[in-house]
Amino acid sequence: MKILPTLFILSWSMLVFFAQAADMKNANEIITKANLASYYSADDGSAQARMVIVDAQGNKQMRQFTILRKDQADLGNQDMLVFFSRPTDVKGTVFRVVKKVESDDDRWLYLPALDLVKRISAGDKRTSFVGAHFFYEDVSGRNPAEDNFTLLNSDDKFYTIKAEAKDKNSVEFDHYIVRIDKQHFLPMQVDYFNSQGKKTRTMEVLKTKVIDGFTTVMHSKITQHADGSYTEMQFRNVKYDLGLPDNIFSERSLRNPPKAWLK
Amino acid sequence: MECSTVYKLAKHLIFLGTSLFITLQCIASNLEVSDEEDWSDDNWSEEVTSPWKFSGFVETGYGYLLQDNIVASNLSLAELTARVNIDYSHESFELVTKSELVYDHILEPASDRAFWKTRELNVRFSPTNNTDVKIGRQILTWGTGDYIFLNDLFAKNWQSFFSGRDDQYLKAPSDSAKGTWYIGDYSLDLTWTPEFSPDVYLTGERFSFYSPQVEDIVAPAENFSVQKTNKAQWSARIATNNNGVEYAVYGYKGFWPTPLGMAENKNQLLLPYFPEMNAWGTSIRLPLSGGLFNAEFSSYSSIEDTQGNNPLIANGQNRFLVGFEREVIKNLTASVQIYIEQTKHYDQFIAHSATPETEVDENRQLLTLRLTYSTLQQQLIYSLFNFYSPTDKDGYLKPSITYRYNDQWLFSGGANLFWGDKKYTFFGQHQQNTNVWLRVKAQF
Repeated sequence: MKILPTLFILSWSMLVFFAQAADMKNANEIITKANLASYYSADDGSAQARMVIVDAQGNKQMRQFTILRKDQADLGNQDMLVFFSRPTDVKGTVFRVVKKVESDDDRWLYLPALDLVKRISAGDKRTSFVGAHFFYEDVSGRNPAEDNFTLLNSDDKFYTIKAEAKDKNSVEFDHYIVRIDKQHFLPMQVDYFNSQGKKTRTMEVLKTKVIDGFTTVMHSKITQHADGSYTEMQFRNVKYDLGLPDNIFSERSLRNPPKAWLK
Repeated sequence: MECSTVYKLAKHLIFLGTSLFITLQCIASNLEVSDEEDWSDDNWSEEVTSPWKFSGFVETGYGYLLQDNIVASNLSLAELTARVNIDYSHESFELVTKSELVYDHILEPASDRAFWKTRELNVRFSPTNNTDVKIGRQILTWGTGDYIFLNDLFAKNWQSFFSGRDDQYLKAPSDSAKGTWYIGDYSLDLTWTPEFSPDVYLTGERFSFYSPQVEDIVAPAENFSVQKTNKAQWSARIATNNNGVEYAVYGYKGFWPTPLGMAENKNQLLLPYFPEMNAWGTSIRLPLSGGLFNAEFSSYSSIEDTQGNNPLIANGQNRFLVGFEREVIKNLTASVQIYIEQTKHYDQFIAHSATPETEVDENRQLLTLRLTYSTLQQQLIYSLFNFYSPTDKDGYLKPSITYRYNDQWLFSGGANLFWGDKKYTFFGQHQQNTNVWLRVKAQF
């Protein structure tokens, strides 16, 4: 029976170790880990997604698409392609992003009806992504270098961090408060406030799933509090480390989507 | 308008409206059901993936001319379009078909009003790892201009543009073969159109225009005969993207896209035709100061009149464009373009012109401003596009409002407002073509 206390002590010390490791004090370090967990899982990935956009009157719209993503480096530049399949008027539309840490992202939209590769200017990254309550930046990830972070609270489950944009003119919010799960570092809720301190917008994660060892957001929602309108986004067929070749992240894929990677 | 015209118009509107309403109701009720089914966790698990994809829309458009015009009809748009898209996806190729059944009330005679139109019918495949080929009826686009075209000499439909049809119809299809080769960071596009595809230019059927021969506004409609050409046209582009900066070089061998020449036909009648034209050019597009900057150049050689002394054939041109676009305030994007169209051999041109006082300036200038404001989660979009030419002292204002009620219903309305001091300038000649329009579209 001597083995039991030994095990107990062992597990206790491990618990203490993990608790200490998890209890971080530096907001920037927490945000870095959150950024990794949210946008840089594995070296590449693919997923099917759909959004249901519900306006203030309860009218629903749907967008369905497939995302391919490849990291040039962890926390570094990223390539991303979004292929729309629904509804009819956006079917065949492809959105291409080169996410850049050091400068503005490069973004293109391919409109098949006109065979037009339209470039999107960098300024409007906090505008609606194809009519949803998600912004372009919510999809590709906001660059943490654009904000200043303060750790407000640390409880059993979450780090609560306040973020303020370094350039307040570039954003529609005064500040936002993000609750990051201590276990997997995914931001589970983000509340955006205006200068009157009123909550204007909320992002919440409704469901996560561990896929290939990466805790992955499977269902999230963004609500606009002024009128109660919202968008829900769901994922399926999430895959990591597919070995996506670099050359598919190019203008060629806009006109000729890489079928082999979209199944 | 006479009483009989009003009566006829009302009758047709009722017909258009009723047929559209019934069709759309059927489609919409089907769609609403299927949408509800889709949005549940259970249904999301596995979806049957068929290689066949069906979609389409039904759209009606109505527009009328605001001023007295010499064209036969006061309507600028009165049509019902049913579009069916059928695509087939195979391991080794993609087949795309887009067909339309159109009822166009403006066409004469009445027996021509209903017709079937194939907008796209093409097959795309990759014969090698770094080659794509697309063959068949297709829409072709390149270049950096916004409603201004320099190196994009593919067919345009100006009647659609002036009448308020959806922007996609500004591009007319071509029956072409297009090959694209990818070599390192470069791509080479080569398109071959075995039978030259001209623009859908103004004939006087819908819109009147200025005739330098008559020296007045004309609307010949079915009497506007043009000598067609069935020779081939070629276009090429080499493009690359270096760290977000896009460069391209273009080449073109073919014809002026509108009939800018006059020649005698077999019966010794002087008729408009498409003179041969070659072009080359270049463009750049890059992010700048939180926005986008673009510049493009093109040189047109009118090879049947290289010295510019034949008044019956358009002179060559040099075309220059610079543009800048950025979001000004949240959801409001503004873009400006400066365009210069330089006529080559201008002295010869004026010396040989029968009407030098009505000819265009050596350097025709054009400024454009586009404002786009989107609200209600992009469901409501206000758009304003303005052309203004300081040299021609004329302009063209295109305001529009688009409301996307949901994934099925789209409502839009707008105007095409032309003004100018003179009846012979580029936009000035269209003053009487000023029109307003409304469109309703149901998608399935």
